[in-house]
Amino acid sequence: MADTTGTPHKAAGRDKEITSSVHAAKILIVDDMVLMQRMIGLCLNRGGFENLLYASDGDQALKMIEEFMPDLVVLDLNMPTVSGYEVCRTLRADPKYNSLPILVQSASEAPEERVEVFNSGATDFVSKPINQPELLARVRMHLENKFLIHSLSDFRARIENELVLAREMQRSLLPEKASLIEIEKETRTIVESYYKASFELGGDLWGGWLLPNNQLGFYVLDISGHGVAAALNTFRVHASMARFKDTMTDPALFLTELNKAMKASFQLGQFGTMFYAVLNYETGTLTYAGAGAPRPMIISGTNVRLLDSSGIPVGVLKEPKYENHNDRLEVGESIFCYSDVLIEAPMAGGAILGEDGLIDWVKELVKSKGRTQLTANLLARFFDTQPEALPDDLTAVAIHRRSGIEEGNA
Amino acid sequence: MEYRIENTGGNAVVRFTGDITFSENVTFRQLLKDLDEQNLTKCIFDLSKVEMVDSAGLGMFLIAREQAETNGWKLGVTGAHGHVASMLKLTKLSDLLEG
Repeated sequence: MADTTGTPHKAAGRDKEITSSVHAAKILIVDDMVLMQRMIGLCLNRGGFENLLYASDGDQALKMIEEFMPDLVVLDLNMPTVSGYEVCRTLRADPKYNSLPILVQSASEAPEERVEVFNSGATDFVSKPINQPELLARVRMHLENKFLIHSLSDFRARIENELVLAREMQRSLLPEKASLIEIEKETRTIVESYYKASFELGGDLWGGWLLPNNQLGFYVLDISGHGVAAALNTFRVHASMARFKDTMTDPALFLTELNKAMKASFQLGQFGTMFYAVLNYETGTLTYAGAGAPRPMIISGTNVRLLDSSGIPVGVLKEPKYENHNDRLEVGESIFCYSDVLIEAPMAGGAILGEDGLIDWVKELVKSKGRTQLTANLLARFFDTQPEALPDDLTAVAIHRRSGIEEGNA
Repeated sequence: MEYRIENTGGNAVVRFTGDITFSENVTFRQLLKDLDEQNLTKCIFDLSKVEMVDSAGLGMFLIAREQAETNGWKLGVTGAHGHVASMLKLTKLSDLLEG
């Protein structure tokens, strides 16, 4: 029998918390020979394990496992009544004991026996006569693995919960239903919108607000990248927008102010592409400025016209120049804005849809199914060829100015 | 995405193949490290074999541009076509990255 110094020690490279959990572990020693029980118990005691339980046969072992739920079992194979093999098989048949390490000790060196030991569900094997340092090393290793897996699953569960919470908070940045209903009523439009993050959190955002003198301001924003960092930046942008209320009727000025705030807080390589427009819903005039967002479409009958949304994304340069453009959105026309994944995601066959492809879809769908459910129809078609998980966040917003025909239907 | 650096006396061309997207973050950072070790006066990103650049990819170009400014070399792009060219034009980054 090899001797051991018996000093509890921290295994190299292991977490301190894990080491202390390992030493607090409850270990059940199962052997029909009292001498063996004592010897193994003494060895584990010297190795720093105090919380030990003993059983003299398989039947007693199973009862004690049920009652005390140990962290590890050191199990003899040849015992009267219920054998070690039986104990292994019984435990492994119960999912409750999936992660319970079973360390089998046996005198036989026969390879066939080892195969049977592992087949019956043992985690590992130590040979008799017991080599104490080896037994200790194996007990430590299996306990450490168990606690590491435990702590990882705890951590994962916590992060998942936090992400759910964060996703709900992020959703709350999007316009509420009540405010959309108010906008629709006031501006005599139908607002159709869709938002989906590629991961739990996303970097897309859109919004709209009523402004003085019969005006409606609205924007779509796409922060580069996605996931947590992009999501935090959407919170930043959203919070900053409120500070620039005075400039909300002037799109270029609004983007300029927002850029100033964002340039200071965005990390290198992060930016937001954006489109901001102000529609006068009495006269139909549309004033807008772009910061590199995909070109919005104005849909008139079955015609599609693209708006010039080019511009340096917000957060890149200290003093980029944003320009106001003027256009019109007549009664019976629609404006459609979207984030780039709609034209960049690989379709069935591998090619991307592209802007031209999307315009073709819009024309076909407007012709066959009308204008006011365009977003819904487009996305239905898009998701026909897309897997659930998109490579980036997706936002699509359409504002349809109602003509008398739709008003009659509404 | 893959890249090959051809450096002739401080004038380098980086030839990209494949898409430059969010998932190429690590590869792109390695490229920036590789460029850091070269004694550059000018570097051209050749995008003629690139079909797709997403917004994260554009972000990586901006990081490269910053590195160029800091270390005193010039960065340009060439060969952009199709969707890549439209992205550079839409975001006006083609103006920022000298040809």
